[in-house]
Parts: sequence; structure tokens; C-alpha cells
Amino acid sequence: MKKILTNTKFTGFGNLNFGNLDLFRISILGFSIFLFLTSAASAKNDAAISETMKDSLVYLKISYYGYEQYQPWRNTNLTEGWGVGIAIDKNKIITPAYNIANAAEIQAKRFGQNEFIAAKIKIVSYENNLALIELDANSIKKPLAPLTFTGQYKKGAPAEFYWLSATDQIYSGRGYLDRASVDSTPLGFSKILTFVAANTSDKTGSGQLYCIGTKPLGIAGWSNENKEAGIIPAEVINRFLSDYKDGTYNGTGAIGFTTTALLDSALRKYLKMPADMQTGVYVADVFTLGTAADILKTGDVILSIDGFPLNPYGRFTHKQYNAIYYDYLITSKTAGDKITFDIFRAGKKQTLKTTVKNFNVSDMLVPWYDLDSQPEYCVIGGCILQKLTKTYMAARGENWAAKSEPHIYNYLLNSAFKPTDDRKSIVVLSFILPSDITLGYHGLSQLVIDKINGMKISSMRDVPAALALNPQEKYDVIEFEFDEPKIVLDRTKLPQANITIAQSYGIDKAANIK
Amino acid sequence: MIRIWFLFLMLTATVLADVGVPDMSKSVVMIQIVKQGYNYTTPWKQNATTGGVGTGFIIAGNRILTNAHNISDSRYIIVKKENIAKKYPAFVEFVGHDCDLALLKIADESFFIQTIPLSIGDLPHVNSTVSTFGFPMGGQHISVTEGVVSRIQTDIYVHSGADSHLVVQTDAAINPGNSGGPVMQNGKVIGVAFQGLRQADNIGYMIPTTVIKHFLVDINDGRYDSFGSLGISLFAGLHSDSYKDYLKLPKDTEGILVTSVMLNSSAEKVLQKEDVITKIDDYAIDNDGMIAIYGTKHFLSEAIEQKQIGEKSDITFWRNGEQKTAELTIQLNRPVFEYARLYDNPPGYICFAGLTFISASRNFLETWGNEWLMDIPHTLRYLFSNSQQLNKDPLLKEYVILSEILPDEINAYAGDFANKPIESINDVPIRSLDDLKKAFENKDVDFYILKFMNSDRPLPIEAKKAHQRNDSILKKYNVPAWAFTGEKI
Repeated sequence: MKKILTNTKFTGFGNLNFGNLDLFRISILGFSIFLFLTSAASAKNDAAISETMKDSLVYLKISYYGYEQYQPWRNTNLTEGWGVGIAIDKNKIITPAYNIANAAEIQAKRFGQNEFIAAKIKIVSYENNLALIELDANSIKKPLAPLTFTGQYKKGAPAEFYWLSATDQIYSGRGYLDRASVDSTPLGFSKILTFVAANTSDKTGSGQLYCIGTKPLGIAGWSNENKEAGIIPAEVINRFLSDYKDGTYNGTGAIGFTTTALLDSALRKYLKMPADMQTGVYVADVFTLGTAADILKTGDVILSIDGFPLNPYGRFTHKQYNAIYYDYLITSKTAGDKITFDIFRAGKKQTLKTTVKNFNVSDMLVPWYDLDSQPEYCVIGGCILQKLTKTYMAARGENWAAKSEPHIYNYLLNSAFKPTDDRKSIVVLSFILPSDITLGYHGLSQLVIDKINGMKISSMRDVPAALALNPQEKYDVIEFEFDEPKIVLDRTKLPQANITIAQSYGIDKAANIK
Repeated sequence: MIRIWFLFLMLTATVLADVGVPDMSKSVVMIQIVKQGYNYTTPWKQNATTGGVGTGFIIAGNRILTNAHNISDSRYIIVKKENIAKKYPAFVEFVGHDCDLALLKIADESFFIQTIPLSIGDLPHVNSTVSTFGFPMGGQHISVTEGVVSRIQTDIYVHSGADSHLVVQTDAAINPGNSGGPVMQNGKVIGVAFQGLRQADNIGYMIPTTVIKHFLVDINDGRYDSFGSLGISLFAGLHSDSYKDYLKLPKDTEGILVTSVMLNSSAEKVLQKEDVITKIDDYAIDNDGMIAIYGTKHFLSEAIEQKQIGEKSDITFWRNGEQKTAELTIQLNRPVFEYARLYDNPPGYICFAGLTFISASRNFLETWGNEWLMDIPHTLRYLFSNSQQLNKDPLLKEYVILSEILPDEINAYAGDFANKPIESINDVPIRSLDDLKKAFENKDVDFYILKFMNSDRPLPIEAKKAHQRNDSILKKYNVPAWAFTGEKI
């Protein structure tokens, strides 16, 4: 009784933020990516540098044209940005994947050539924050001078960075290598090896080339307010490039579990670990996707991976990078590689072997990102059904996690990496475009679809299949999770309603289902 | 629209002359209060004291009626009359936090000599003139303002934050100051001024006499039981003919859809999802869930609001093409995660091995500050918003949360579990603080294995060591007792 008086529901349009991806671009994961940085006042311009770098750096002009998350038949506003490309072949460059997320058009400009050169994305890895881009061979007057990434990490060492500006200047600056760690990339869920440069003389996050001495060390993938830059290191770049060499990209290993520190001696005793066994990290959760999801169980203790012992925090000793998290041992491998886990389970040590695994982000129950393509949706009688993704939730803008309905956010937080055969993705009723056919329902929004016409909905592809069921019935019936009314749509009126709604709300495409 | 509410405690009002009103100085009193609430994270601690001034008025039986929010968490109350210096200590006889009303008694009954009790009238008509009386903060004289009744509707009572009852809206300039003061018409009380809207001009609210009378009848048996409900969630939106047809409801029948039935409610065995209630007692329910009552339309809850807990309501409903009738008992029916703010009673807790457990409440969530609904951890937000859908255990009394860790070697690694609800100890479910107390009283185990919601990692506590450490932890952190589970409302 009291519930309906105190539980205010969405009122269709009123409270929704039809934010576009630009909001999300600026503040995701706490990174500040200075993609639209245009001045470089403090940078040096040196003729000698220009001479060595001029055929290896390109300026990228990028136009973005993504999709609205809340009215996915619409494009976002057209925006423009720029980035730095580094030659790795005579007509191929790399740049951070973040630069080209939702890019509609990329044009490259090289030193000393006035014409822009058409560029095409060959391969993108948001997990490694890298994209391989091919420049139109016919438009390049002379081949680029490819660089080989051979620079080695050395703590405290100065690192110079370089880029080509829109006005055909090669600028440079300097930072100091502060640490090697595994870090999240701006868009991905993986933690990959990153060199962090501190005290950088400029904001570098758009692909600037970092060198140690004369040797290329990596490219800048992000920067923050503390004058730090995250460098995508040589080893990540080289693996990315060699993975693609045979024409197919396998991708780097994705982790199929989560762990927590195992410091508590009471927990060790409870797990029946011998008193002298002081290493290992506790497996807190196991996914249905990713590396070792097939062999680990919640409650296992991972003692070592590929022979590298893990301390109770989950770090191992790397000869070059010192104590870094075990994520490296998986995310520095390519899908298909072999991997060995020494674990402690049910009072005994065991050795488990498996292969490194990877998955498409779209295989997640709640995809971590949905970029470069139109969101999956379907409009029926004005009801907008959509595939739930983190990108969709993040379109709420600042503080989106707390703004999201808890029953929806819960899927991201607790089961994003746990799709099953019965539940491949989450389909939500985003909101309803009001019309006669949905009179009485207009306030419903942000509800998780349970069934349509009696059929469990496990993916967007199930929606048309379910709508085709029971042709003898008079109604299409949409059921939701939790205690919500059903939406009952008159099938005889639907075709005309769909046309009227599409016309009045300007929907040029009723569905986008992959 | 986000509405910012305020309560009329301690604020000012304009003085207006009002002809034809009795000498209110014999009926309206000033109430001075010292308050001290509890800390819901560290529940044996009390917060700093605050002072306040409110208004009350004398009713039959030498009682003073005022707002509950004037005297909630009070430690000391003084009542005084206009133009008389003497202050009289008062005590709370009854309080209804859900309807924001309280009755005060005064030990020295000589206070009531030469006072005039006010009588309680009926619901006023919209657009009729009313006068409000109250004491602005620091002022010594009763101030009077006049206005009209703007509308009467069901709305939230912000003192509890969760309960909705009928309110009367007025444009009488009850600029804060009159909390607990009478609103008069034709010499009778037609409301108690109690809350307003912050960003609107001239929108003040009073508690109507329907609610006041309910409160006064409720306490007749010497105990306040509060308003009850039927224990069902409803969806007011049967405007879709298709849905009606699908539900096999005759075309011209109006009603309201049942979307869920609360665990342990009297409706549990009677109603089910997708029943459509068309009538409650003699009131026909329309598609917006409204009934014709008091000469206008109000939400159907108004039919229940007239009744006391334990009374019955007859309902007519449709299920699968058949019309049925049933009798439901009005019950308290509170959600397992209480929406309403709690007052007056010290919160229960268990503090064992430095781990402080409390019962999940809105008060606990509000310790996160003004933006608490945004700032609280996801699991708490999820439970607070959806406990009725998420909880399938009819025996669950409350969610028990690890609210604070008093640092000690025994709990050095418990930090990850702060603010999480506990589910079980040694696989025995924890459904209340009492269950938790019993679990820790069992010394016949090596480990207490604590399992928390949304956490696959258990927290093992060595039983023997924990009991050894417990006293010194309690002493170090000045915890008066390891368990306090009494004094529940």
C-alpha cells in the first residue's frame, strides 16, 4: 500500500538524461583524456628532432558520430578531435584505441604534406587501448619511416615525448618514468602493463611517442591532472602487432575470476593451509568467461601462475618491473597460449593447466562498452527495448552508477562477466514513447524484461522470435522482473501504431538486432 | 520535480490581527525542547544535544497536542503559556512518528487552570479561510496568520520520510514557526501546522483532523499502534483496454492492479499478482486508484486510513474473469528494510570482537549525509529500494549490517566487510540481531564463519580468541555492553 506512494517511478521522459557519448568520453573511469588539446605552448621545437621524427609521426583528424544511448536510432552530435599516430609500417600507424572510439572519419596528415590522407581502421583493441590504422597508400607521397619499439623501462629515467601538431610542427617534451604497473585502460575492463610517466611537461594522452634515449618506449594512452601519463609500453605494442601479423587478431588474455588479498591468518587456518604456507591469493569469484574460469573455484588459493609465486596481495616479482599484480601474467599473453596455475584447494596443492582465453565484449552479460556501432534495440508500440550495456548506463552522465536503478546496476556489478546459456544478455525497457496503444503504461521505464509472449528473453535476438509466437493470440505480452504490471499490446492495432509512432517520433529504423 | 520539504520547527511567522477568534493565549502553548538522537553507526553513542522551540495546543483531558517532530528524541521538555513566565516541565504521553503527532502531559496539573481546551473540527472546504497560531522562535507572543485552504491531498509526511497521509495545503503565510500550532476555522481546530515546501511560495501544510482523530482513537487503549495498511503493492494504470481484456476484466470496470502482496500480510493468502481491486468497503475504485470520499476524490488509501490496525476492510476484486470478495485485516505491514526514520529508542546492536552490527534502517543510511541515497554502497541502496521484492524469507526480521569495526588484532582483516549485510554464521541464517547474539553465545565452535551478502569470501573469526579479546575491546572503546537488542518499538 505504502509502496506506491513512496516509491516514485520514472516519469518517462522527465528524469531521463538523453546524454550523448561525449559526456562519457570526458570523465570515464576518472581518467582525463585531453583529446581536444590544441595548444602546445610549452613544447620545444627543435630542427634536429623534426628531422629524425618527421616521417614517423602523423597528425590524425578524427570526426566522431556515435549513437544516442536513450534514442538509439539517433546519432549523437558530430564532434571532432585529434590524435597522434606513430608509423609502424610504410603506410600503417598505431594510435590509442580511445582516440578512435565511435570515429566516423579519420584523416591523417604527415609532416610537410598539405593534403590529408584517408585512413582506415584495421584492428582495434580497447583492452590494450591500441588501434592499427592503414593510410591510403595511393595518397602517401613517400613511405612512412616505421619505428620499432625497443625501449626498456628504467625507473626514474627521463623519457622524451614527441608529436606532430595540426600546424605541421613537431613538438617535444619530457617526463620521468615513475612506475611500471598493471592499470585499467580508459575503456577496457582488463588491467594491462602500463608505464607511468610523472611530471610530464605537457598533457600527453593522445598517442604521443615516448622515447628513452633514442629508443621508442611506447605511446601515451592517458594523462591525468597530476601531470602523469600512462604509456602503452613497447611490449604491449609489439604483442598487439605480432598477434595481427597472420591477419587475424586473437586478442590478449582476459581474466576469468576475481581475487582478494589473503592476509587473514584465521582465513588461512580455516582453509587448512599449512602455517608455513604464507603466499597465495584468495579466489573470491569465478566468471563464466575468460582465462581459468573453467578450472578455478571460489575458495581456491592461487599460489603461483606459470611458476611465479603470488604474495598475499596477488603480486609477483617481475625481473624488470618488480612487484606487480598477477593480471600481467594473463593480460601479457595471447589467447590460445598455455598457462599453469598452482593452487591450494580442499587442503591440498594442485596444479591446473589451461589455455589463455579471450572473449568479445559483446559476449558479456552486460558488455563493458558498446562502441563503433549502433546499440541493439527494438521499438514495439513505442516501447523501447534495448540491450543493457555499461555504455547505456554511463549515458546518465556524472555519478551514473548511483543514478542507475539498483536492480539494473546490480547486473553490471555482480554478473557482468557471468553470461549463461539461459541468460546471454539483459534486455531492458528503456522507456516508452507515449501513444494511445500504451495508455496507462507511459510511466514505466528502466525495467528488466523477463518474458515476451511467455518466452524467456535472454538476448535481443529472442525479441523478434518471441513476438512471432502464438499467432492465434490477440495480444503481445511483455513481462518484467520484479513486481511490475505486464504490457499488453493489441496485435491488430500494432502495425498501424508502429507506423504512427515512427512517424511522429522520427524513428527511421524500428530495430537494430545483431 | 524534486521537492525540498522543511518542518516548521523554530522559525518565524507574521503577526496579523484576526477578529472573531477566541483568546488563543488560553489554548496555545510554547514548547521548548532539548533533543539528543542516537548515532546509528556507533549505536551506543548519543549525538550532540540540540535545542528547539515549537508550538502546541491544549485539548480535552489536560493534554497538549503537538507535532511528533517537535519532541522526537527529546531529553527535556518545557511548556509555557503566553504572558506567564512560569515554565512547566512536560513529558511525552503518546507519540505517532508516522503521523507526526504527539501528546504531552504536564506533571503539575495546575498548569491547566484557566486554560481552554480546543475542540477538533472537520475537514475544511477548499478555498475557505483559516487562521494559524504559533510561536516564532524567541518570540513571546502568539502570532496569527490567515489564508485559505488551497487543496487537500495525500502526501508524504517528511518526519518519518516514508508515510503518506492526507494533508491540507494552505497559503496562510505559515512562514516557519508554527510547528505543532493549531489551524483554526469557526473556533475549531481543523489542522496542525507541520511542514512546507522550500522552493515554493506560500505552500504550507497542516495535518487534517481525519489524521488527528485517528491518532486520538488509536491511543484510547493506552498504546499507539500507528496507521496500518493492506500489505499490497498496486499499479494505477488500467487505462489500457487491452490489458483489461487480457485480465478478463469487463470492459467498463475500473479498478487498480495488484502487482505484489507483502510477505506475512493478511492479503498474502487472499490476493495475488494481477488481481484487480474494484471496490474497497463501499468505495468504488477508479483506474487512477481514486475513491470518492470527503466530497472529492482521494487515493484509495484514504479508505484504510480511517481504520485502526486490527479492523477489517471488505474488498471486491476480479481474478481470471471472476468477481470475488474478501475481507482483509488492516495490519502494520512494514517492509523488512524499514523506510521510515526511527526516533526515541536507542538502536539495538551487537558488538562482538570489535565488530559492530546494527539493524538496517534509514537512520543508518542517512549517516552518509545529505546525498545519502547516492553515496551509500550499492548493496544497501538495492536492499533499501527493493527489499520487498528481494526478500523471499518470511522469517527474516531485519537485515543485520556490519556498521563499524573497532580495530583490534582479532578483526584486522574485516575491513572489506564493512557496511555489508550478514547472511549466516556457520551456515545458520542470521535473521535478526537476536540470531546474531545467539550465534556468538555459542562457544562450542572453533571458528565463527561469517558470510555476507554479495561476498563469496567468508570472514572467519577464531571463537576462543574472540571471546578472550572481547572484554578488553569493549573497555577500550567504552562500549557499555556487547549486546543490546531490547526496547524495540
